[in-house]
Amino acid sequence: MHSYLFQFAQVHHEFRLPELSSVAELHGFSLSLPPQPEHRNPTRPFMVIGLEDEEHARILARRCILIKSVFVFYGQGFNYDELHAANRTLQGEWSRFTHDTSFRFLVTAYNHKIPQTRQREVIESFSYMGFLGKIDLKNPDIILTCFEEYDDCRGTTREKHEGDGHFREVFFGRLLEEGSARLLIAKFDVKKRNYYGNTSMESEISLLMANQTLAAPGKLLYDPFMGTGSMAYPTAHFGAMVFGSDIDGRQMRGKVPGVIRAATQYGVASRILGLSTFDVTRNPWRCGELFDAIVTDPPYGVRAGAKRLGRKKELTPTQRDLDDQPYIPPTRPYELSHLAADLVILARYLLKPGGRLVFFLPTVTEEYEEVDVSTMVCEGMDVIANSLQDFGSWGRRVSRFSFLHPLAN
Amino acid sequence: MVRLITHNLLACHVKGCTSNNFPLEFKDAKLELREAEYNPEFIRGFLPKIEWKALVDTARQLGDTSLPLEQPEMLDDEFLKNLHHVLLEIHVEEGSMICPNCKHDYPISNGIPNMLLAEHEIG
Repeated sequence: MHSYLFQFAQVHHEFRLPELSSVAELHGFSLSLPPQPEHRNPTRPFMVIGLEDEEHARILARRCILIKSVFVFYGQGFNYDELHAANRTLQGEWSRFTHDTSFRFLVTAYNHKIPQTRQREVIESFSYMGFLGKIDLKNPDIILTCFEEYDDCRGTTREKHEGDGHFREVFFGRLLEEGSARLLIAKFDVKKRNYYGNTSMESEISLLMANQTLAAPGKLLYDPFMGTGSMAYPTAHFGAMVFGSDIDGRQMRGKVPGVIRAATQYGVASRILGLSTFDVTRNPWRCGELFDAIVTDPPYGVRAGAKRLGRKKELTPTQRDLDDQPYIPPTRPYELSHLAADLVILARYLLKPGGRLVFFLPTVTEEYEEVDVSTMVCEGMDVIANSLQDFGSWGRRVSRFSFLHPLAN
Repeated sequence: MVRLITHNLLACHVKGCTSNNFPLEFKDAKLELREAEYNPEFIRGFLPKIEWKALVDTARQLGDTSLPLEQPEMLDDEFLKNLHHVLLEIHVEEGSMICPNCKHDYPISNGIPNMLLAEHEIG
């Protein structure tokens, strides 16, 4: 077991641990989080995680959207004495680089800028490591990085360099790999997409949700509220086949349906298994246990609320006599609370054992209690993660259910 | 792009139409062949969910006779490749699917089947 220092993007804190554990589960390895709650606080930018193999750290860096970079962990401390003591005990990790490895040494800080003179002092303080190789700022063999983490003091007036050295904690390690999955956020940027709608999900969240579905080649996923397909592209990018349905066929119509155009742009058109127009509450699936995951951003709100088949009120005889060819089935509003509860029950039927349901649910932050989601849990389903995207007075939650036991019938 | 894999999973769901409602019959089907990436794991994993007779009958009706009438016990590569072709590469772009029991017509346009039901057909 080795320790790795992870630097995270400081967004969507509540998604960090669910994403890490999902990717680890997908690739069949375990990760051990630091024991003290303070050190696994997801609002902090650094976390030291124990992994069996260096390759696991690289897998995480290539798949987790929130990872900025991964380092081989050499030490941490509340002051430099503690850091150096820790670094000395891990000498075995770095002694092989001392002879003739070219290196670069970076001293940097989170929430702060360290003056150049002190950066130099810090570098000098590591002189006991005895690195004899060439200093190479452009193409070094290894990059050693020392991070000081400062508390957030935005909104206060400070002198230049005020509080320098009064960091919360300092970390040190050797760069293993830059997180490459963050580049996908720009690739799937909705603004650059060939086809999107006014409620298309932004790319970062849809990628985070895609990771929670354990999307991978050979898997079959289903989005019952396909819309403009925002959830389908990232999951297909990770190799899964995706089937989409929606009660409103407009998004899918056209000589080349919009969803296919966007999928073609991302090179995943062949992984869109199929599209169909139907109301998921009246679905034509022949049998259950079909999908590895159901991932969806259900419609909500007044402007783009969910619809289901049925009429709001009965037709008058004169209306009934009117010729309304071609016949368009009437729809009525679909209450969000009903929708969410139905979705969980539907997932229990349609998911394979161990399958996952990942969906977005808007909640009012003040009124939210854990009960909200747990009231929807039915037998055989389990909430395994529940992350909030906070907009202040309200937020959207990504809830992830896992289907544990297959039904008897 | 109603692929035969999708066709093999859809049954008529009109209220009261619960027997002999599968498989839906293609009518005036306009076919298109499109290459798809071959993933033997996916095909293998999906095999238990397939209604074999429905798949073979439909494939033959659409002019593909590469699949045996009985599902073989041995899954060799040639068989998986044929199955891959039938399930994922034959697309029905236009036409409709008819329920053998209640004769409901599900139209397919630009490869998207419209499975919506009219108000008198929902329970």
